[in-house]
Amino acid sequence: MNAKLAMVIDSAKCIDCKACVAACKQANGVSRGVWRNWIKEAVPPVENGKLGRGHFQPGACMHCDEPSCVIACPTGATFKDKADGSVVIDPKLCIGCGNCIPSCPYGARFRDPVRRIADKCTYCPERRAAGLPPACVDTCPTKARVFGDISDPNSDAAKLLAANQGKVVRVIAKQNDTKPNMYYIASTAPDGWAVKPVNPLSFDALSQVVAPLVKYAVGLSGLGVLAMLGRQLLVGQKPDVGTPHEGPEKDKKEDGHDAR
Amino acid sequence: MKRSTTLFAALILALAAVSLAFAAEGNARKGKYLYRQKCRSCHGVSASDLSPSSKTQAEWKKAFAKPEAIKCYKDWKGVTPEEKNDIFAYLHDFAKDSPSPAKCN
Amino acid sequence: MSSNISRRDFLRLAGMAATATAATAAQAALAPEARAAGAVTAPQWESKFGACDMCFNRCGLIARVERGVIKKLDPNPKFTKSRGMLCARGNAGVDQVYDPERIKTPMLRVGNRGEGKWKAIGWDEALDLAASKMKDIAAKYTRCGMLFSAGADTQSQFVHRFAEAFGSYNITSHESLCLLSGNRAFVDTFGDVPLPDVRSSKYVILAGANRMEALVTPDSMDLMTIMREGAKVVVLDPRYTKSAALASEWHAIKPGTDMAFMLALAHVIITEKLYDPKFVAERTSGLDQLAAHVAEMTPAWAEAETGIPAADILRMARELAAAAPAAMVYPGRRSSDYENSTQIRRSFAIVNALLGNWDRPGGLVPARPAGLKKVPFEPPFYDDNPPGRVDAKSVPLLFDDEGSFVITRENIIKGAPYPLKGWFVYKTNPMATAPDRRKTREMIDKLEFMVVVDIAMSDTAWMADLVLPAPSALERQDPVQALQAGAEGACLVWRDPVIPALHQSRPVFEILKTLSVKLGFPEAFDFDIPKYREMQLAALPEAAEILKRDGVYYPPNPPLGGTDGQPFKTPSTKIELYSNRYADLGLDPLPVYASPKASPDAGRKFRLVAGRSACVTQASSTNNALLSEFEPENTLWLNEESAKELGVKQGDVVQVESPAGKGELKALVTPKIRKDTVYMLSGFGTISGKLSHTTGVGASIVELMESRFDAICGNSAIHETFVSVKKKGAA
Repeated sequence: MNAKLAMVIDSAKCIDCKACVAACKQANGVSRGVWRNWIKEAVPPVENGKLGRGHFQPGACMHCDEPSCVIACPTGATFKDKADGSVVIDPKLCIGCGNCIPSCPYGARFRDPVRRIADKCTYCPERRAAGLPPACVDTCPTKARVFGDISDPNSDAAKLLAANQGKVVRVIAKQNDTKPNMYYIASTAPDGWAVKPVNPLSFDALSQVVAPLVKYAVGLSGLGVLAMLGRQLLVGQKPDVGTPHEGPEKDKKEDGHDAR
Repeated sequence: MKRSTTLFAALILALAAVSLAFAAEGNARKGKYLYRQKCRSCHGVSASDLSPSSKTQAEWKKAFAKPEAIKCYKDWKGVTPEEKNDIFAYLHDFAKDSPSPAKCN
Repeated sequence: MSSNISRRDFLRLAGMAATATAATAAQAALAPEARAAGAVTAPQWESKFGACDMCFNRCGLIARVERGVIKKLDPNPKFTKSRGMLCARGNAGVDQVYDPERIKTPMLRVGNRGEGKWKAIGWDEALDLAASKMKDIAAKYTRCGMLFSAGADTQSQFVHRFAEAFGSYNITSHESLCLLSGNRAFVDTFGDVPLPDVRSSKYVILAGANRMEALVTPDSMDLMTIMREGAKVVVLDPRYTKSAALASEWHAIKPGTDMAFMLALAHVIITEKLYDPKFVAERTSGLDQLAAHVAEMTPAWAEAETGIPAADILRMARELAAAAPAAMVYPGRRSSDYENSTQIRRSFAIVNALLGNWDRPGGLVPARPAGLKKVPFEPPFYDDNPPGRVDAKSVPLLFDDEGSFVITRENIIKGAPYPLKGWFVYKTNPMATAPDRRKTREMIDKLEFMVVVDIAMSDTAWMADLVLPAPSALERQDPVQALQAGAEGACLVWRDPVIPALHQSRPVFEILKTLSVKLGFPEAFDFDIPKYREMQLAALPEAAEILKRDGVYYPPNPPLGGTDGQPFKTPSTKIELYSNRYADLGLDPLPVYASPKASPDAGRKFRLVAGRSACVTQASSTNNALLSEFEPENTLWLNEESAKELGVKQGDVVQVESPAGKGELKALVTPKIRKDTVYMLSGFGTISGKLSHTTGVGASIVELMESRFDAICGNSAIHETFVSVKKKGAA
């Protein structure tokens, strides 16, 4: 059976110390001003005129089972790794077109300003190869982030899921359940920040009908690539989309969460 | 403002009282030097490990009231009465129940 | 960015991409949504143990080093004190090492002081100069004419040793700008500075301690764990800190009224007889005086002072007592708040005493044995020295080995009781951490020679005559250090370099060793670090091997309760609810509450309070490249209603002013702070020309804070300043 890597987050343990974010930047050489992971703060409730219990929500790429970014990618650079279920960007194939950035409803992707290609959480494959957990998981003071293969019942992540059956929730974009592999225990607060995935219109239509074939064609066609690079130049003139650290996006209509 | 002036005056008086109470008897800083020179050669080596925080102020007072009774008194030959007072001031001022106990470790 | 790319580059890149893409995309596209990524190989790391130095916690770490370059710092899982974590600052330790603005060579000031004109010089010249200047000062002003200040560093003990051998009594550290009031109060009550055993506690009151941001290991993590297990954590803070956000209960207490809250707890516990009568009778003294003292200090009385409802105070007192002895008022660390902070902390200590939590799981425990040996030496005595420290007798209960930085500074400016003209500074930064920066500058202007040893060009280094580059903690060999973790016992760490020292940096140990030869007392440093460690570990023969294997060593830890039946180290041998020492000194033997002073100036409505972010260690980390991404500037927290009255909107630049100075920074308009209080982070608005992330960025808190001190121990009192706030440009 293939592995299914996932992150199970006991967000009520999170103290918003940013250790996971710092560790990620250091481990992966993430450029200044962009972030592969984040901690979002729920707006605290007001109880009797007083601020109530706060809640912090660590996040990153959710390595979805039905990833909208994979559909949006014109070159096949973004794909779902069948061996472990992670969503991978092949830097050799990425042309930096930027399509995948708005296509992710969770704001997990950004364009690396130095390498000028798409970037996001990778679950730290080099560290895993060295037998270490992803940097964010390893460094977390309260061990709010737990990582592992949830198809293996003996993994920490699977055990945590099993122990919290009925209490596990996910942040999802309602109109487009991408089947994220990021599980939260008890609370998704803050919710309402996932946005509707945005794909280039024509591309979206095409990919839904004959995705593999079209991709193949677009991938092979120098013209298609040129067109995408043209888009990159345009996108590059604006500030990058997908700095999730900045907090919830404005368009909040399409979201929700599911309880399992 | 007035309150703090009064407080300050009280402190000055208190300090005068304290210095009369114990510090006046010897020079604790010199005592520290003398202790290291004259006592450390045995204490911590061949004799028991000893420092000001080994005893309370009352215990040091009691010991130095009758130094002849101290086990190693026979080895104190080179110590003048003034030096003895300095050493006492050091041990007493940094005793374990003193306001500034000597740090161990 | 891509927008800068030329058209020709664009076509060339496009062509390359098209070619490269075509081949692989052909395979990829066959199953574009699921294919196997190629095997990723493990990095060619060497893993080396270390101990973090980004704050005082010293968390055990593992450095991943590739071809002589530190790639990543990870937590050492065997270092249980930190619960196997490394915080954001710890991770950013790499950027401290590779900071392009680091001091690289010895630098001699060639312009006016603070002007930033330097000349790089060699080590021989630098150390000859330092030695001859120190000799001159000793000859002119006695050896006490030199002040030595060292930060919370593992090698700081060598600065103390050097000062003693040199013959100066004037030594300060960060402690009198931080934690002495708390230490004073607990030494005078319990005869000891206890450690909180948070892990086993059922009820913890955090008054002014923001453990979720001012991280202390293992307490910060343990507070989260025990809440999960059903324990209650109450936070009293005028700000909705992250600790407040995560606590079981938060009260936005009026600043300066913590003592009223504590005395009301004592009132309830005594009047309702909720204390353990046996413990109180056998182990404390002064219950009757305390009972009389707090007789009128009802929860209703405390409500009027603190703003916390009486019913809540009553309930919390009962809950706290019901959970005792696994309950505590958390002693806290930084206690440099008010002129009566020692008495405030005495009230904390007294409530703990009533809970009978001494040396009990979940209570306050004495420091555990570490087994380290001191390395003795025999410094000479100089008969011409003045009788004591330059700040001696300024307050009744100065800690002789710490003194008071702010009083020392005052006396240097005055030149009394004797002139002090030289300053040796190691890795501490009073220009950015001591209240009233102008006074620190004034003090420095009185000096004839000032040398600073540090990694980066701090504001204090920027003022020096001579600056010497130190390696970071990852580049040097350190003695053994004992760390305390509550009931779980002490642990020992040491450091070996994970990479060779960069640039021309030299550890302060080597600097001092060389100076000791030049100044004629080489016997004080007659060892190297390995030899020193051997002497430290003389009683722990197995420790060195285990330290090499695990990066940490745990000495035997006797069970709690070992002090049962033993006398306390106080004059009465009991926990002194009523302090005989204070009575003898003419001080209040029981903490006497007075409402905090109102602002003396109607224009200055806001009390300025200090605090922490988990990404900042005061002024020592704000210029770190990675951490500056999290805290790029400081802002003034301003309550939304107060902001409305002032016409200040989110992000407006405001001008903040106090009698000490002024500053400009952006306002953070928020419901997370009381209307009468404002807050900003320290470490910004710096002046050094080599701190590009913080110089000219935000406002300096020490420019605004007035210099006050604790009347009993001389600890700095940094919450006594009221400031005015107005929108920039407003009349």
